[in-house]
Amino acid sequence: MIAAMHFFYFKRLLRRILPGVVTLITLMATIPCLAQQRSINGKLTDASTGQPVPNASITIKGSTRGTVSDVQGRFSLQVNNADSLIITSLGYLPQTVYVGNQNAIDLKLALNNNQLDQVIVVGYGTQRKKDVTGAVQTVDMGKLQDLPVSQIAQKLQGKLAGVQINQNTGQPGKGMSVRIRGQLSVSAGSEPLYVVDGFPIVGNIGSLNPDEIESISILKDAASTSLYGSRAANGVVLITTKSAKLGQTSINVNAYVGMQEVPKHGRIKMMDAVEFAQFKKEYYEDEGQPVPEEFQNPSIYQGKNNDWYGALLQKAPIQSYNVTIATRNDKLNAAVVAGVFNQEGVVLNTKYRRYSLRMNLDYNISDKVKIGFDLAPSYIYDNQPQTDGDRGTGLLFDALHTWPVMPIYDENGELTKFNQFPASTGNIYAYPNWVRAASEITDETNYINLLSNAYAQYEPIKGLVLKSSMNVQYIGTKYFYFNPSTATYAINVPIPTTAVSRRYDQDEVTWLNENLATYTRDFNDHHFELLAGFTNQKYNYARTFIRADTYPDDRISTIQSAVNISRGSNNTYNDMQEWTLSSFLSRLTYNYKGRYLLTAAIRSDGSSRFGSNNRWGTFPSVSAGWVMSDEDFFSNIRPISFAKIRASYGVIGNNNIGNYTQYALVNNTVNAVFGDNVATGAAVTSLANGNLGWETTKAYDAGIDLGFFKDRIQFTYDYYLKHTTNLLYSVQVPQESGFGNFNDNIGEIKFWGHEFSLTTRNTVGKFQWTTNANISFNRNKVLELADGIDRVYGSFNITEVGHPFGVFYGLQKIGHYENQKDLDNSPVIPGRSTVGSIKLKDVNGDGVITYGGDQDDRTIIGSPFPKFIYGITNTINYRNFDFSVVASGSYGNQLYMRHLYSLANLDGVFNMVERVKDRWRSEDNPGDGFFGTTVGGGNVTGVERDWPNSQFVGNASFFTIKNITLGYTVGFKSKSIKSARLYASVQQVYVFTNYWGGPNPETSFTTDNLSQGIDLSSFPIPRTYTLGVNVNF
Amino acid sequence: MYSILLLGTVIMFGSCKKFLDVVPETSLSSATFFKTESDFEQAVNAAYVPLRAITNNNAWVLEEMHSDNTYYARNTLFGAVDNTENVADFAVPTSDGITTNTRVRDLYRQEYQIISRTNQILASIDGVDFDAASKSNLKGQALYLRAYAYFELVRLFGKVPLHLTPVTNREEAALPLSSVDSIYDQIKKDASEAVTLLPVKSKQEAGRATSGAAATLLANVYIELKDWASAEGLLKTIVQSGEYKLMDDYNDAFSNSSSNKNNIESVFEVQFKEGSDGYNGNFMYAFLPRPMLAEEVETITHVSNPQPLSEEGNNIPTPDIIAAYEEGDKREDASIAYITLSTSLRDNKVYPYIKKYAKTHALQGNTGTDWPVYRYAEVLLFLAEALNEGNKPAEAATYLNMVRARAGLKATTAVSQSDMRDAIFNERRVELAFENKRWFDLVRTGRMKDVITAYGQRVVGNPLDYYYPSGAKPPSNAFTVLDTVYPLPAEEAALTPYF
Repeated sequence: MIAAMHFFYFKRLLRRILPGVVTLITLMATIPCLAQQRSINGKLTDASTGQPVPNASITIKGSTRGTVSDVQGRFSLQVNNADSLIITSLGYLPQTVYVGNQNAIDLKLALNNNQLDQVIVVGYGTQRKKDVTGAVQTVDMGKLQDLPVSQIAQKLQGKLAGVQINQNTGQPGKGMSVRIRGQLSVSAGSEPLYVVDGFPIVGNIGSLNPDEIESISILKDAASTSLYGSRAANGVVLITTKSAKLGQTSINVNAYVGMQEVPKHGRIKMMDAVEFAQFKKEYYEDEGQPVPEEFQNPSIYQGKNNDWYGALLQKAPIQSYNVTIATRNDKLNAAVVAGVFNQEGVVLNTKYRRYSLRMNLDYNISDKVKIGFDLAPSYIYDNQPQTDGDRGTGLLFDALHTWPVMPIYDENGELTKFNQFPASTGNIYAYPNWVRAASEITDETNYINLLSNAYAQYEPIKGLVLKSSMNVQYIGTKYFYFNPSTATYAINVPIPTTAVSRRYDQDEVTWLNENLATYTRDFNDHHFELLAGFTNQKYNYARTFIRADTYPDDRISTIQSAVNISRGSNNTYNDMQEWTLSSFLSRLTYNYKGRYLLTAAIRSDGSSRFGSNNRWGTFPSVSAGWVMSDEDFFSNIRPISFAKIRASYGVIGNNNIGNYTQYALVNNTVNAVFGDNVATGAAVTSLANGNLGWETTKAYDAGIDLGFFKDRIQFTYDYYLKHTTNLLYSVQVPQESGFGNFNDNIGEIKFWGHEFSLTTRNTVGKFQWTTNANISFNRNKVLELADGIDRVYGSFNITEVGHPFGVFYGLQKIGHYENQKDLDNSPVIPGRSTVGSIKLKDVNGDGVITYGGDQDDRTIIGSPFPKFIYGITNTINYRNFDFSVVASGSYGNQLYMRHLYSLANLDGVFNMVERVKDRWRSEDNPGDGFFGTTVGGGNVTGVERDWPNSQFVGNASFFTIKNITLGYTVGFKSKSIKSARLYASVQQVYVFTNYWGGPNPETSFTTDNLSQGIDLSSFPIPRTYTLGVNVNF
Repeated sequence: MYSILLLGTVIMFGSCKKFLDVVPETSLSSATFFKTESDFEQAVNAAYVPLRAITNNNAWVLEEMHSDNTYYARNTLFGAVDNTENVADFAVPTSDGITTNTRVRDLYRQEYQIISRTNQILASIDGVDFDAASKSNLKGQALYLRAYAYFELVRLFGKVPLHLTPVTNREEAALPLSSVDSIYDQIKKDASEAVTLLPVKSKQEAGRATSGAAATLLANVYIELKDWASAEGLLKTIVQSGEYKLMDDYNDAFSNSSSNKNNIESVFEVQFKEGSDGYNGNFMYAFLPRPMLAEEVETITHVSNPQPLSEEGNNIPTPDIIAAYEEGDKREDASIAYITLSTSLRDNKVYPYIKKYAKTHALQGNTGTDWPVYRYAEVLLFLAEALNEGNKPAEAATYLNMVRARAGLKATTAVSQSDMRDAIFNERRVELAFENKRWFDLVRTGRMKDVITAYGQRVVGNPLDYYYPSGAKPPSNAFTVLDTVYPLPAEEAALTPYF
């Protein structure tokens, strides 16, 4: 309530001040200079190559006036003779020039090979890269703006060591999973904490316009993240949005248009109509039954194939437009980014549109007082047919398993309504037309996001900065689903069906107040920085969900026109969630001569989620570094230009344990019926745990940073070791208790790994070629679960002490029973095994194959974890051309091809993968050894599909060329346009993989860590061709 | 500026402890529940709820299909229902008293839902002060339901854990198996207390447990334990109470989808309600053979939105039960009907199905037909049995003949105690067909092994008679597990150290 009121007033406040602020920017940018001045011109070139240096900042010493060089390195500025100019540019050593009576200043800038002076964003502050003692990696988003994708995480694929970024589905705006250093948890989620301009936001950053972002820092070790305390265990991603450079007024327009398509390569190979009819014919022949008329002559389907999957796909346009205006002088720093992004999906009726605006303002009231406001509203419209999911819920799976002999169009060229073959053909379900389902069902979501910060900063004495801020995030979601009587995602529902609507309105408001004091002081060569503060954050969520059905007319989908409003706890309901977090934090940073580095930090979090006996958690960390190359003895080691070793230790937490998990809840909708009356009922549905707490991770990191040959080669290596304990887990209890679970903190998982990053500038001069490469090896092992529990099952996975988390679990296939002798002499499934049926391994050696129970023969049959992940980016600049190739890969990971339980159903009730053609048919014709006999019906064939086994585990190693971009920069003499760059880009260029279960080896149907790596046919990731232009005014 | 902000902050978060206390707004918490009469009313209502899932989904699998009364209608196009088939085929996989069968598991767990909810009530109701009449009524209902659940469990499984107080933490969740005797002692104690605490049917809200229902349950326990004298006395009080009588027409003994519920013959029935509120049942659909076309569904159900049924039909009356009806028994046509499935793989395409629950209703898969647990007809047959076992066959005949007369049958010809025993046993079979009585009757009379062995030979020998399409056969392990109790569920065994 308080939050809502607060938010209301804040909105009003913003509404009042905004017009004023906008006027202010305009004024500041246009105020002419009034002093006695003259104009000076100049040109900046690279000292080694002679190439012009654009975008360098030229400021007048002691003032905040300045300008920026254009694409040809030229600038002009109003100066007095007594002025000195400071010229700075990223990658070059700064220079100061006295103006005197010079009319033109032409300067050669020397490369600053030591990029370590770069200042990067760290938790609650900034640091010189050289001084960083934790494992932090930063990405300059400017270099990624060509990638034609909607989400930030997509742009980061392949760029970061130790960070596994997978695109689980190609649905626009969705489906990115980011896992830092292999961190995972039983039930508390593994997504990192996202912090936008200091504000730890709720949810992910899928809705943020990537063009608003200037840089991203990924905090990987506990020493870097511990100031985020109980939310730090999965790593922290710090996002810094755009601001202007001093003396700069710039307008940048970035636009691209493109086309997306799903390549034929990589799609799962299904039977066509002729092959399917041939299968059916053989099926009945092998079974010794008469072949149904429909399949007696498969060639009648020649030219009559119905590719249901292909029918759902389309070529789809994508476009993006962004305008950035930035200006900065000694009073005001303002940046505005406006963006429009419009992507249609490669599956019919998929639309994703984002309109976004960001205004960042900082204003210096005096030397000591500064205030700032950021405001970032955005609106997203999203219509996405339900493409992903199991048979009967996901359109793509639906389409794949539908018989290719069933017509998509009738003889008049109209879409068929539904298809059913006579039961005598083995058709067991009626199928609606999936093309209709995709195009006629409305499945839309509207989001309104508002991210806003306001702060005031006061510096009462030199070195002491007091800052107080208020941050508010609002997410409004409106969902509307309507399936008319003509369409459904479900199988076995004849058309017309019951029209159903579902809708919800959802509001999420988070506010955060932070009060921080920073004191910085140098004593000779000793540099100290002390940070202390306290923060309060509150989150509030409310949703109203209504389901209604049975509409007399498909054209009207309002609630009041429905015959029924469905009751039932999942149909029509209110949900409310709330959490609060109070924290104290403190950090000391010390270095001596910038050579010996030490940081110690601590945060204390009190959370409403923790049990009443366990409210506060404390998260300390310490880290140290030694810049060895600054020592005298190092100057003799010529090839090594830089060397730093660092180590850290810290304790961090994960508080994603649910909002009310500690309470024993009484559900008061367990209603009974007596005669015609409904009587409200209430039952205790969970067990309380007043000791419930956060998950604790203790993490060590040791790393080394090296530069060779004047930093032409830069190398970073990190080793990490983490122990996560107290995992939140709903421990299963025997249900004789009346309860299924008890929420407890249990177990221990060990994580360890190696990360290598390498940057080499292979050639310099006119032809510049730079390579960035990284490779990481992440491992984990479950050391302990709960008392009396040594294993936890997922869908097709097991989490077992002594093994990695959530590996695939099932029976081990060893082939097929080749003949009667083989059958007689091998372990069998009583009553089910026959000659030609699947032969599984008798793991416990009891002579019988058993699934589940005490005589279980299941074993570990694969792993969703890669042995290593890697990325490589090559960038080439030659004259006005630039060229880059981004690639990422994963090796050794597997997927469980769950969809094969239908798509390789040997009873011929669904369409099948083409490979079933080569199944076992007889001793003389045993096929390719993959699929077994069809004879004997479900009792025999059901084993292959219903008893999860290694047959469905596919090797999903991949190497993907994510992006290739070619650009050409044109310079202009014109006053109005400084430069323009044209580029062409291809995204998701090619996937090299042996995976045969579908087009996306990165997929994972659920984000549940216990059941990872399951393929159920997801929205394919399209290949995107774009043309773009980037203009600076 | 800064001080204003700081001041604001201090005011807002003056009390840190309160700020961190966030209680759920969509649910109540057990700490504040069980304080008022209304709380206990709601808790008692919730204790009835698992009965819906028990009778709709599972009890008929373990208690009726696991007998010679019903079987499944094999649809060879469908391969994934072996849990249900295993029960009907007497092939529940068993090792060391444990099974992975999910039907067994589900029913076991649902019975304990009732026990857990009633334990919560019984543990605290005496400590809360409210109207005495209301309190006895509520307490009586809780005791009745707990006795009901344990009676099911002890008959299905034999030894089970005996929970009598609410579980509040992980350590208390598992208990050792209690002896069958101690479980029966508790059931008798609970049911006896319920008989005295509960009002009679005419004074109770329709559909709730009554003293008559508790007495019938207790009599059933006595009969199970062969305590014939206690049963006889108790049953006579029910008969003499005047609260019950047989409906004139056997058809009317059973509830329709939205009428004729809790009629004068009904002693206790599980309540369902047709409609979109989620209190409906759909068990009659599980009892339909498949594949069935939409128009075929419509002829039986008269729904406005008929949809075809695939997969496999269960609880299909066997030729054995059909043959058990005497010539002229009106109950045969009231209990069993036939349908021709045009897309069946069987040669003659004709299947019987249970008619007594196949009442017409509005929308597919949504019925309000109640499940009969105890009917007055059974009270009469119980009494006949108790009298006969007390060596009063002539008096027993009086009550047996009341049931037979309503069915349009002549008085029984049985005279000797032994003939009368068989007559009552057979009468129970046809009168109470498909009401989850058969398996328990076979076991408690000691006839199970003989009857099922002979039945199994018939099924395996003549699969066509048991609804297999030509060429299909029962699995090779059919009729190999003829134990009198079910093994305990494996998933529970994995979580408790006691079994």
